[in-house]
Amino acid sequence: MTISSPVLRNSMRLILPLMLLYALYAMLKGHNEPGGGFIGGMIMATAICTYRMSHGFAAQLRLMPVHPRVLIFLGLGLALGTSTVPLLLGEPFLRSAVGVFHLPFSGHAFHYASAMAFDLGVMLVVVGVGVGMITQLSEELE
Amino acid sequence: MTASTTIWLLLCVLAPTLLGLATLFLPQKAITLRTLLALAGPVLSIVILAQHLAGHGVAAAADPMATPVISWIPLLNMNLSFLVDGLGAFFGLLVAGIGVLIVLYARGYFGPDEASLYRFYPTLGFFTTAMMGIVLSDYLLVTVLFWELTSISSFLLIGWDRYDKHAVKLAMQAFFTTGLGGMFLMGGVLMFGFATDIGLGGGGLWRWSEVLALGPGRISPSDPFIIASFALMLFGAATKSAQWPFHYWLPGAMAAPTPVSAYLHSATMVKAGVFLVARMFPVFAVLDLWSNILVPLGAFTMVLGAVVALNQHDLKRIFAYTTVSQLGLLMCVYGLGGMAAGGHPNIEWGITQIANHAFYKAPLFIIAGALGHYISRDITQLNGAFRKQPWMVLTMLLGGYALAAGPGTVSFPAKEFFLHAIHESAESIGPWWMLLMAMAAVTAMCNVAIFVRLLTTLMGWPGGMKPGASHGHDDHAAHGHGEHEHEHGPWAQMIWIPALALVSLQYVGGLAPGLWSQWFAPLETNIHHFAEGVPSALHAFTHPGVPLYVSLIAIICGVSIGLSPLMRGAIVDVHDRIYPAMYWLAVTGGGRAFRLVQTGRFRNYMVFVLLAFLAAYVASMVLDPTMLDWPQVESPFEFFPGVLLGAIICTTAILMPIVQSRVVRVIILGSCGFSVVGMYLLYQAPDLALTQLMFEIISVILFVLVLRMLPDKGETDRASGRWWRFSLGTLTGVAIGWLTLVSAQSGAEPRLGEFFAQHSYSGTELTDGRGGGGNNIVNVTLVDFRGFDTLGEITVLSIAALGVFSLFPRRKPLPTELEFDDQMARGVAL
Repeated sequence: MTISSPVLRNSMRLILPLMLLYALYAMLKGHNEPGGGFIGGMIMATAICTYRMSHGFAAQLRLMPVHPRVLIFLGLGLALGTSTVPLLLGEPFLRSAVGVFHLPFSGHAFHYASAMAFDLGVMLVVVGVGVGMITQLSEELE
Repeated sequence: MTASTTIWLLLCVLAPTLLGLATLFLPQKAITLRTLLALAGPVLSIVILAQHLAGHGVAAAADPMATPVISWIPLLNMNLSFLVDGLGAFFGLLVAGIGVLIVLYARGYFGPDEASLYRFYPTLGFFTTAMMGIVLSDYLLVTVLFWELTSISSFLLIGWDRYDKHAVKLAMQAFFTTGLGGMFLMGGVLMFGFATDIGLGGGGLWRWSEVLALGPGRISPSDPFIIASFALMLFGAATKSAQWPFHYWLPGAMAAPTPVSAYLHSATMVKAGVFLVARMFPVFAVLDLWSNILVPLGAFTMVLGAVVALNQHDLKRIFAYTTVSQLGLLMCVYGLGGMAAGGHPNIEWGITQIANHAFYKAPLFIIAGALGHYISRDITQLNGAFRKQPWMVLTMLLGGYALAAGPGTVSFPAKEFFLHAIHESAESIGPWWMLLMAMAAVTAMCNVAIFVRLLTTLMGWPGGMKPGASHGHDDHAAHGHGEHEHEHGPWAQMIWIPALALVSLQYVGGLAPGLWSQWFAPLETNIHHFAEGVPSALHAFTHPGVPLYVSLIAIICGVSIGLSPLMRGAIVDVHDRIYPAMYWLAVTGGGRAFRLVQTGRFRNYMVFVLLAFLAAYVASMVLDPTMLDWPQVESPFEFFPGVLLGAIICTTAILMPIVQSRVVRVIILGSCGFSVVGMYLLYQAPDLALTQLMFEIISVILFVLVLRMLPDKGETDRASGRWWRFSLGTLTGVAIGWLTLVSAQSGAEPRLGEFFAQHSYSGTELTDGRGGGGNNIVNVTLVDFRGFDTLGEITVLSIAALGVFSLFPRRKPLPTELEFDDQMARGVAL
């Protein structure tokens, strides 16, 4: 389903990078500020789907050259993997490691939580599900 | 004892499976090698068990002499430890010992049929392991686990012929019946474990060794939980040991190949229930329920089985019903044991009773299969079979003589013990003992009659069964055998030699009772009256009493019935209809219920959900009348933007059912959603607002896509029940609105939000000293506090997406690499 509106097409060129960037930002910052993997994934899926509406399937394929189910697979695997690692270390399932990592040279403290990897998995799944469903349904129409 | 003891015994349990699986790696043609390797499994078990007994002796009952514990799943009270007391050791040796003979017999039975042997040995090993696990495990729940494994492996073995629908059906019948018992057993074990938990560090009794050692002190015979748990466990034992009315599965299981029948359905699996009863006996026999259930149940099953057995033609069915009868007898023996006789339990040589049955019944099955292989399994076809297969017939008659409990077999004193116990029970049950005695006499009579029939028929003497004596129809009769070329050589003889080996033990016990007593006395825990050993037949005749007279009457009557033309037809057991009836009920009833509930209309599902919600709502209002108090709401109009958004939401909700066009509806729904987004922003929930915003966009896109696929017109029958649905919707709306108002009232209690605000970054003692390491409460909750939920949710999402992928299969082929490149190129060009 492509909407041939020049306004949408041109504004999408501008908006798309911003949305993708913001999606990543929301995912990475999510632990301390509004955001998180789920929202990040939603934003990214929305961005990709809107891009598809304005530019068509070929453009979407160029942006995301894999089948969405690959993302689902990777995301679910990552989430499951992150949850299982603590078991191998003798900790309860899903326990996250929290710590501070000092960046070399500048010495900035970088606060991390291993739950971020889990969040990344959530994001991948959400993107895969969102894009996948919409792609599938619109293909059904075309 | 060190932990290595436990490991050795674990190996003893697992050996049959491991070596059975190892046979799969041999080439299919290597039959002899395969047989030898499969043989090594149970032999190894016997060696390890014998070694253990030689080193540590038999653990005395009630002495916690179970082997050291190896942790497995301590949280569930499932660990590895083994209890090798007399009962466990006997059953372990019995299972492995008969296992050895069955491996040999299977070689003779399946002959050079490589494919069958290839599949048979691993399955047999699996079953042997399951059975060894039941009898040796110390942890009750591990016993239950192996119990279930026997159900599964016996299902595989009964439904051996996968292409025979009838056999598969009967296998399922056996599986469901014994599986149901397994569920009851598990319930009973769990309830027992919790009921015996006395708190203060004294956990529940989860190990047989503890049950036997501490049970008598901790179990009060009037505790309803103990009684209930006992009843549940007994139900499990009764189904496994084919007690009335669940005995139907055992004759049905005769669809299995004979090696399976001889192993599972005579000596081992059906004895699991008896084993369980014997295990429970020292502790549970104090319950009134013990004798009150086991004696009548066992006695009735005993008579029923014997009478039906007499009226069968198929050898395997005859022996299946005598097995049912004998299992009833064993249950009755232990039931009588619960009564006191002269200050001690009224039971003598319980393990001898069990061994006695195994030592003659397995040989009878083995020969039944062998005769079926060479001639026929229908007794009317076997007239004069002695001339054709003298050795097989001789072995069968030796077994049959033990079935009839003739003097000279160990069966004879075993029957005497039983009759003696009935006679003694007069102390407890008064004149009822005469009824029991009569039932025992009828059973013995039938057994004698069966032997007489076998003798006269197989020898071709007058009085034997002749072809066409009845027109009874038996669909289990052997078919198709005897046509193919028979194998020759020593391996072919294995079709009857194991039976001779086993049945000879009967005569060892009968003719040399001293030897038998020497073997079995260390295993027995219940020897009171017959302390000097199993009496010989001579002893019984020189010390006559009521039991002997009853035996003589039974023998005389049995011989005359056996020779008489009475009861020579083949009858159908009425209990065979139980399972098909239940199956029909489950399938048909389930189908009806399914069609009633699953209408396939979203509207109907919604009605169910809303009605359930309203019912719960009304119930909670009845329970908590404060919910009806008028909520104290401050001026609802003090915050204008909120009121405005609320008004928009309400308007959309009202407009929704009024408008007809689907497109307009999507727009209305969208405006409702965006108003909710605004609401979230107003009340400072940016996370929610962002999520809802994205969700709204995606759902509008989805709706627009889906709308095109829907028909233009709405459902035609909208008008019917319209007002009813309208009122239901209104009522639900009012209920939810009221609920919101009421829940806003509970201001005094600490809010959940405060807890999360405190713990999301760094923890306190409440959260085990650790927090999620983040300031965003929502996200920390999502990925850390409730991370498991999130994991579940993304899994559900993925499944939903996969569902969409498969519901709408691609009509167009997937872009191949070339097409992909092509599209890429065009995309770049764009």
